Amino acid sequence: MTFRQARYDEPPIWEIRPPAPDTPAPVLDAVPERLRRRSAVRWPELSELEVVRHYTRLSQMNFGIDTSAYPLGSCTMKYNPKVSEQLARRRSAAELHPYQPVETVQGALEVIWRLERLLSKVTGMPEISLQPAAGAHGEFTALRMVRAYFEERGELAQRTEVLLPDTAHGTNPASAMAAGFVTREIPSKDGCVDLAELKSAVTEKTACFMLTNPNTAGLFETQIPEIAETVHAAGGMLYYDGANLNAILGITNPGRMGFDVAHLNLHKTFATPHGGGGPGAGVLASVDRLAPYLPVPRVVKRGRKFHLDYDRPKSIGKIKTAYGNFGLDLRAYVFAISHGEAGLNAISRRAVLNANYLGKRLGKFLPRPFRTLVKHEFLLSGAPLKAQGVRTLDLAKRLLDEGYHAPTIYFPALVEEALMIEFPETESRRELDGFAEAFERAVHDTPENLHAAPTSLSVRRVDEVRAARELLLSWKDLRSPPPESRPTGNLQGAPPVRPGA
Amino acid sequence: MLAELGIQGTEELFTDVPRKVRLGRLGVAAALEERDVVRAVDTILDRNKPYSKFASFLGGRIRTPYTPAALDAILLRSEFYTSYTPYQPEASQGMLQSLFEFQSLWVELSGMDAANASLYDGATAAAESLLLCHRVHPGHRFLIPASLPWEERSILENYAAGFDIRIESVPFDPRHGTLDLDALRASVAKGDVFGMLADVPNGFGLLDEGLPELKGILGTVPLLVSADPLALSVVEAPGNWGADIVVAEGQGFGIPPSFGGPLVGLFGCRRELLRYSPGRIVGATRDAEGRRAFTLTLQTREQHIRRSRATSNICTNQSLIALAFVVYASLVGPKGLAALQTSLSEKAHTLAAALGGIEGLASPRFDAAYLDSFALAVHPGTAVEFLDRLRRRRVLGGHPLADPRPGAATGEQLILTGVSESTDEKAIQKYAKAARAAASAGRSP
Repeated sequence: MTFRQARYDEPPIWEIRPPAPDTPAPVLDAVPERLRRRSAVRWPELSELEVVRHYTRLSQMNFGIDTSAYPLGSCTMKYNPKVSEQLARRRSAAELHPYQPVETVQGALEVIWRLERLLSKVTGMPEISLQPAAGAHGEFTALRMVRAYFEERGELAQRTEVLLPDTAHGTNPASAMAAGFVTREIPSKDGCVDLAELKSAVTEKTACFMLTNPNTAGLFETQIPEIAETVHAAGGMLYYDGANLNAILGITNPGRMGFDVAHLNLHKTFATPHGGGGPGAGVLASVDRLAPYLPVPRVVKRGRKFHLDYDRPKSIGKIKTAYGNFGLDLRAYVFAISHGEAGLNAISRRAVLNANYLGKRLGKFLPRPFRTLVKHEFLLSGAPLKAQGVRTLDLAKRLLDEGYHAPTIYFPALVEEALMIEFPETESRRELDGFAEAFERAVHDTPENLHAAPTSLSVRRVDEVRAARELLLSWKDLRSPPPESRPTGNLQGAPPVRPGA
Repeated sequence: MLAELGIQGTEELFTDVPRKVRLGRLGVAAALEERDVVRAVDTILDRNKPYSKFASFLGGRIRTPYTPAALDAILLRSEFYTSYTPYQPEASQGMLQSLFEFQSLWVELSGMDAANASLYDGATAAAESLLLCHRVHPGHRFLIPASLPWEERSILENYAAGFDIRIESVPFDPRHGTLDLDALRASVAKGDVFGMLADVPNGFGLLDEGLPELKGILGTVPLLVSADPLALSVVEAPGNWGADIVVAEGQGFGIPPSFGGPLVGLFGCRRELLRYSPGRIVGATRDAEGRRAFTLTLQTREQHIRRSRATSNICTNQSLIALAFVVYASLVGPKGLAALQTSLSEKAHTLAAALGGIEGLASPRFDAAYLDSFALAVHPGTAVEFLDRLRRRRVLGGHPLADPRPGAATGEQLILTGVSESTDEKAIQKYAKAARAAASAGRSP
């Protein structure tokens, strides 16, 4: 298709009607004099129409799933059903304050309780908490719990290491660091964990091994029973990064694979919208031995009534205000009951079929680094294009011109010039074929055209190096540029890393 | 598609999953049609009693604001809400420009040099900032007001747990409810402090006149301020009284509470702290034709590049709610925000006075200035019992401030009470009447 994105030259909102500087702020007598604001907040006074038109125009300069397929690997950009948006906006869901008495929020507690039971079946793990705000937040919470567990057993001084494969999402090592652990990378062999390397790395220092399965190469870690046995034999915990759960619904689950604690991303597998980067919702699932450490409160059912239970003496306490992103949990619940047993089982079969079908088609144009039986996503290497001076970044930008979002690029790092492609189950064969044809045109395009891409969006290639050098981060900086920023030309630099996890 | 792959069925795509970890079935119910889903979910949700059906005085960091119709119309633009993190700037200028506007607004409100594109909520923004202070200043002690809500303290403690950090409370003056500055001076003089959190309003809803003195007491120790965005329409920007980092919970800007989430954490800091700061940041730049454009920047701080040496593990943030924050502020305008804060403050003072003469209640409990929320003390009886009696009279009178974990709560029975746009004279009188009855019932044996 011929694709054109809107191009409005829409100015920043303050340019629509610039506010006067240094207007005195209104005085509120209740504010003690020494705390009173002197200058009014510098922001424009606009009509409703001006605001609506501004943001509507901006929205039309943005890709979304509703306008374009979004094959970002590890991001699981599936369709977000409209019924979820409608139900989350009910007054009976939106107009609930988290500190209302429990007698007045029985329905909300029931939604949480039902979703927890359902996710317990999906994960094969008995205990669930919906408190984490996102996947990385779930990782951190789990590692905080692992810390508390070993602390209680007097092993914390000894168990200082978190192990992870070199293909791990970046959040894994960052979460381990934030929880106070030292990280150690396990090299991969043919795209999967090298079991011999893992065996030699696992010691009495091991607190946890973090793994996503299938991994970020889209490969199922077939040796998972041996991996679990190795980690457990050393007294360590096994952590499941659920970012790639969309590949295994009804096929296997983290409980069955031997994991001790897991996070899920409801904004991936359970289709809650990503909102331009968030909000998400991170679920924590745990086996019994870690369950006492889950955040409070836990939602419990006694008789027919639901309660918030704070009586968990070993709990780590709170990790987020209130009880998690309830508005997203509700959407996920709607998604789950809309699908039911057969529908949830069909998701992964279709997602995996999509990946293998498209992988086979695109494998004609670029090499596939590892074995070709993949799960929900697959990798290509753009390395052969380098001979013509073309980088994976150029290919990604050229795909935007075809009306498709780019895949995740330059991740995982063990594949040169990587492209990581995921078309979730909601995308049709027509869309896959369209992407394959677009990909073929892009790969065979001239280096000049690839370097010039994109040409059909609201802006041409964006100079990210200049952004990092000038650091103009707000309107204030545009009015008076900060000292370290200085004018620069269009500098060339190495393409930035762009994982989509 | 099966034929192209040369297979009979999708089962052949799972031969790499060992038999011993394969499942039979999930064991969940059968699928429902959309109309049945709506009916089933509405049946459950109808067991809720939204605060809008009561005379509601629930306040604090999470508010019960009115959501302008135009705000929700923008949030329903699916180009925004179905998009991902703007990794490809050319395809995502709309969200990037909106986030740049959001950052700009927080810079104007807070008086900081720069802001990020959001964190999960106000409390986790404070917790991330605690770790930022720890990165840039030596020491092991982090100071917080004793009046800080228990939840926020617990979140700070969890974020600090991986490091050699002690979180210590600075007591409040028992009459004013604001920081005891002599105690603070003594605590800082003991040394080893790497940061301090102060909040405006504080956990009792109070405006602390001592805030402008904090930076002088702390010297080079970073001052982290948690500030209510609406209050900043009339309260001096913390950047102008010594704050090094300013965070906030931004949900009060037109976003319904949705039982506590999604919320939005705001974060801003001084320029020299930027490279140690958490979260995604949008910067202005140019495209290949020299046109203004926006992109994520300073990504070398982030987990996907720096991995275990990242400044935070955050990946998903609250972009859509950040968009809501800036759309709300633009719809209401700076004059409208100040007028709203003024109106809420007047209602809160009317309410405090109406409850003031009731035996068994101290309203307000403290005598420092406040805006739209204030602390009540109940005696005898417990805050929970008192609020329960109010609820039976269709009044949600606030929330207990005590830590609900068994064995944690000590001291006075305090309630945080707040007003909203929907509070009117009738609701205030209803609260006063119900409170009189509830306090009286609390006194009878």
